Amino acid sequence: MPNSLTFTLVITGAPWTSQAPQTALMFATAALSAGHSIDRVFLYGDGVHLASSLSTPPSDEAHWPQQWSVFLKKHDIPATACIASALRRGLIDKTEQARYELPAENLLAPFEIAGLGEWVEGSQAADRTIYFHGN
Amino acid sequence: MSTLIVIDQAPYGFWTGREALDMAFSLAAFDQPAAMLFTGAGVNWLRKGQRPDGVGQKSAEKNLSAAPLFGIEALIADEHACQQYGLTESTMLPGVELVSNIRDVLGDHKHVVFAG
Repeated sequence: MPNSLTFTLVITGAPWTSQAPQTALMFATAALSAGHSIDRVFLYGDGVHLASSLSTPPSDEAHWPQQWSVFLKKHDIPATACIASALRRGLIDKTEQARYELPAENLLAPFEIAGLGEWVEGSQAADRTIYFHGN
Repeated sequence: MSTLIVIDQAPYGFWTGREALDMAFSLAAFDQPAAMLFTGAGVNWLRKGQRPDGVGQKSAEKNLSAAPLFGIEALIADEHACQQYGLTESTMLPGVELVSNIRDVLGDHKHVVFAG
């Protein structure tokens, strides 16, 4: 087994409903500082709420979407929200806003919206795929 | 490199099972070997004659019966859970493989994904 591993992270628990996004961020931070790498992050099911640009927690509480956004940009890690999960839950980018003629878009950069193929690819590319569930 | 998708919750009460099923279908669509394991209350996915109209949902049974057509290699059920929920061969979807030791099934797959 190589000393340095590549991880794909899958987050299915929503922020403020579960601790999944927070635990995943701590895992990702620890993995990078131990010399491992993160191939990509995939948001699935309720996990897509992490990519909302409209989350507005009280100012004295942790802002998980913002913390994730800063982390992803800093380390140049691609992150995708599953399109089927996202559309059902009202997480919309400009393309889907135009396609479905919706009144708004709310996808936080650098998250992108794509299909489950991203998860399949990520599972193949990584040495380990780790799931962060809400329950 | 095979992936086992595990469903351990009954259909209709949670969306996680359906999203796990989508994961299995997606693997098959990308020509990746995938199998599904039903355990605990999850074996109720395999029950014949589901009538989901009453809760305004699509039939989990119908979705699942398409699994072999989509290229999902095996539908596996925990025999003990089937007994617990009164599922027999005559009340279950056809083509389901019953196993008595799910630990062996988990060990047979490189990737194991539990429904969130």
